[in-house]
Amino acid sequence: MSDNRDVGAKSVKSWKKSEHHGAGEWLAERGTSLVLIPLTLWAAYAAYSIAGGGFDAAIAFARAPLNAGLIGLTMLISVWHMYMGVKVIIDDYLQGGLRGFSIFLTFLLSAALVLATGYALFVLHQGA
Amino acid sequence: MSQTPSQLPRRPLSPHLQIWRWHITMFSSIMHRVTGSASVAGAILIAAWLVALAMGREAYTCFLTLASSPLGLLVWFGLSLAGFVHLTGGLRHLIWDTGTGFEPKKADQIALWTMILGVVLTLAFWAVLFATGKVTLS
Repeated sequence: MSDNRDVGAKSVKSWKKSEHHGAGEWLAERGTSLVLIPLTLWAAYAAYSIAGGGFDAAIAFARAPLNAGLIGLTMLISVWHMYMGVKVIIDDYLQGGLRGFSIFLTFLLSAALVLATGYALFVLHQGA
Repeated sequence: MSQTPSQLPRRPLSPHLQIWRWHITMFSSIMHRVTGSASVAGAILIAAWLVALAMGREAYTCFLTLASSPLGLLVWFGLSLAGFVHLTGGLRHLIWDTGTGFEPKKADQIALWTMILGVVLTLAFWAVLFATGKVTLS
């Protein structure tokens, strides 16, 4: 891969490609934003409802199937949104190998968050 | 306009923060990135909360001891502030995405009021937590 900040190095083919996936990214950014409005407000309400309740309140909350599903969904959409947002910042200020490495690290963090959440929800469900 | 792609100049990086003249839409834009980045830490801590819960009572009690300490509460307050300001900032961007509110005066007002709303929501959230006794400083 050459330095893809160099617009001149792009072929007509890659211009065509970005012409198509650009709209998808734009829509995904807006779509995740819209969905996260109710989900994060729900998360704030959930935090309020278990605050001060200790382990028992938290585990009862997280084992309810609807709550577990919403926790998983909120984390998944948040991580997707986060990955796109952080990538935009990286694209704006970094280039070359540092850009690629930073995006790779962001991807690793995103994957780790989703896997940790999924695993924890699985364990909680098993213990129910 | 008549340049072919191979003759285009290298695309520059974004202007760095220090070259901007201060104005509120610039400030709100920078804050949207700052609050969004801070929310990454929030996502990590919420995942840590869930993992601690899955690990059992002992691990969760340890997590709670840290989370409910004065320093822990300060961290949660900061993260909730970042989250709420990013939420209302997102609302601002969704409004602008519809193509409305770009007149300079209107844009300034939208930037100001969405940031204020984010701070107000945060303060209201914590006021309720403290007023109901769910969170205490001790």
